[in-house]
Amino acid sequence: MKKTLWTLAAALMLPLAAFALNLDDAKGQGLLGEQPDGFLGVVQATPEAVALAQDINQKRRDAYLQIARKNGISLEQVANLAGQKAIERTPKGQYIKTPEGQWVRK
Amino acid sequence: MKRLALVLGPLMLVACSPRVALEAPKEPITINLNVKIEHEIRVKVDKDLDALFEKESELF
Repeated sequence: MKKTLWTLAAALMLPLAAFALNLDDAKGQGLLGEQPDGFLGVVQATPEAVALAQDINQKRRDAYLQIARKNGISLEQVANLAGQKAIERTPKGQYIKTPEGQWVRK
Repeated sequence: MKRLALVLGPLMLVACSPRVALEAPKEPITINLNVKIEHEIRVKVDKDLDALFEKESELF
């Protein structure tokens, strides 16, 4: 019985394990980078990196929308400001996208 | 007499100082409020974003 419970618990943990790639690692490994539009972009597409970017971008979008509504400006304006900030904060060696759409190592 | 000089002296000095005339400009002064409001919102959004970056640090 106990063993079954453990197996069940382990099975439940599995989807979390698939998400084990965190953002810092993904950026550090050059899989994801910051874009001027305030969202993450995929530099090297691995299934994990793509899923992580999608998940985080959705959460970012929600957060931007909240700030946009609060201040009466558009989501795009907030996102662009956030993009500037995120690119500024990106440490050297990680990828950022230029306004022309090119990935460069900062 | 001396006291009079003490009082009058500064007065005369003041009287002699050149007058600086400030004339209102012919054109009406307009302050572009739009720019100011936009700037204020920008500052507020900037603060909100800083807070977001701190609070939801796993998203950035």
